[in-house]
Amino acid sequence: MTIDSATMRHLSEAQVSVELETEDMTLNIGPQHPSTHGVLRLVAKIDGERAYDVQPVIGYMHRGYEKICEVRSYPQITTIVNRIDWVSGYANEIPFIVAAEKLMEVEVPPRAQYIRLVLTEMARISSHLVFMASYPLELGAATPLFFALRERERVLELLESVTGGRFHPNFNRIGGVKPAAGAGPTQKKTTQDLPSDFLSETMDAMEHMFKICDELEDLVAGNEIILARTRGVGKVPVEVAAAYGLSGPNLRASGAAFDLRKIEHYLPYDDFEFDVVTGTNGDCWDRWYCRLQEIRESAKIIQQAIDGIPSGDLQAKVPKMIKVPKGETYVRAENPKGEMGYYLVSDGNLGPYRLKIRSASFSNLSILPWALEGVLVPDIIAIMGSLDFVLGDVDR
Amino acid sequence: MSSSPSETEAAVETEPQAHPLQEYADEVAGAVGGTAEVQFDTIKVSVSNDSWVDAHLTARDRFGLVFFSWLSAIDWSNQVEVGDPLSDEVEERLELLSALGDITEGRMVTLSTDLDPETPVIPSLVEVYAGANWHEREAHEMFGIDFLGHPNLAHLYLPDGFLGHPLRKSFPLLTREVKPWPGKVDVEAMPEKPSKDEPSTENPES
Repeated sequence: MTIDSATMRHLSEAQVSVELETEDMTLNIGPQHPSTHGVLRLVAKIDGERAYDVQPVIGYMHRGYEKICEVRSYPQITTIVNRIDWVSGYANEIPFIVAAEKLMEVEVPPRAQYIRLVLTEMARISSHLVFMASYPLELGAATPLFFALRERERVLELLESVTGGRFHPNFNRIGGVKPAAGAGPTQKKTTQDLPSDFLSETMDAMEHMFKICDELEDLVAGNEIILARTRGVGKVPVEVAAAYGLSGPNLRASGAAFDLRKIEHYLPYDDFEFDVVTGTNGDCWDRWYCRLQEIRESAKIIQQAIDGIPSGDLQAKVPKMIKVPKGETYVRAENPKGEMGYYLVSDGNLGPYRLKIRSASFSNLSILPWALEGVLVPDIIAIMGSLDFVLGDVDR
Repeated sequence: MSSSPSETEAAVETEPQAHPLQEYADEVAGAVGGTAEVQFDTIKVSVSNDSWVDAHLTARDRFGLVFFSWLSAIDWSNQVEVGDPLSDEVEERLELLSALGDITEGRMVTLSTDLDPETPVIPSLVEVYAGANWHEREAHEMFGIDFLGHPNLAHLYLPDGFLGHPLRKSFPLLTREVKPWPGKVDVEAMPEKPSKDEPSTENPES
């Protein structure tokens, strides 16, 4: 049997069309992919170069803190909340302590408030520096990692000199802050103020931080590959961001000038001048840039706070046995990752009746199915990394 | 805190020192058909089950509360397996809470509704706030609340096939069942004051 040329062409075209037909593939990313900052699994349907229907699978780090808090006393809970977002453990304590103080109607001495503020901002700088280190690395630029982590180490050492802990300081007490670590065996005083050279060293470190921010900006903003991979990628309009509960730098990158430090008066931020950094496009680049600028703003706040730190007590008078009176309140704070809040329900006992923990990364991550719909496969990593989440903060 | 509401339209004249947020809380409560309560700077507006979704629509569209912060529940129960029991007898219920905010002035309202603890069912908020999706999945597995119209009410944290709802007060904390909290009783003598009557068993050489 002979085949004429027309049939031949028809057959070959049929063959070609069969070969070009794409097939959906299910791609598993994680749960131990280095870009997931913990253990996160993504199940994505891949059609050619693009990803559809991306479903994050979380819960590998779920520790049931909300349940455990029901059997712990208030002073014990600060150790637990340290571990929610371990990159900025200190900042997690603040809204919880403030919530308990609000129900107890305790007035915290100004010096303790300033110390809290300085340490919170240092936690923010160290958290943002981790992002400065890891995000370019995920995009293939390894150099900023060394610059950022070196400076973070300096900040963590200062934090450790006061609190005694690098990651989990457990430094706040209801009514104030703990006497600082490092008193030494020769000192018999029961209360110890800040280490003697802490303030001057922090001042120097913050001065140096501005230089580091310039260096990081040169390194990353001058990198054409990073610009190409982040500009216009992963755009989140502000109304979508709000509906998903995105907060912190992720919300501000979309253009909302919304910073809880300016709104809620949980720490004396009103005493200082600083700008709320916003982006315009809400893309990955803006989210990176907002965080870099926030390091500069935090350094400015710390310098002003050290200049004006009042003297006085570290602790208000509180009973030895902390019992929080009956009541309900929600206290939220601007954490490095976004809005962190605690809905505290107290029945007048040693521990809370219910403690709802609102963590920033949980809501920030929940936008992933929306943000990753139809993006190119390499952009999954770029978008995911730009949201700056920590799985301990997601799973609680 | 200066709390003199100089520009109030005398909506509430019952208390001389009304909370500065009370006026706003009453305005929201009037619009959504609920009752407002301000406790420690937190506004809680209680609505009925039927107006749960409509209340959110009103809050979002009329009051600009576009930011979905969180959704969760409180198990008000007289039978407590874990933690301290309530001091007063309460009406047993699941209180569903959702916190909404704006992204301009920093206003925040917590909406609340009471559910029957036996068969808690409520329409889903996913159509109003996309962010409610994961929060409702969490509340579903932790409290057993059914959200009607939710696209995918699968487990979020817990493994498939997990029985029970861990954040209910009737759910025991399993580690405590197996081993009592070690910090509860100090069984050893304090190191400064070793008791003279009993010889130390820990270090026989000294």
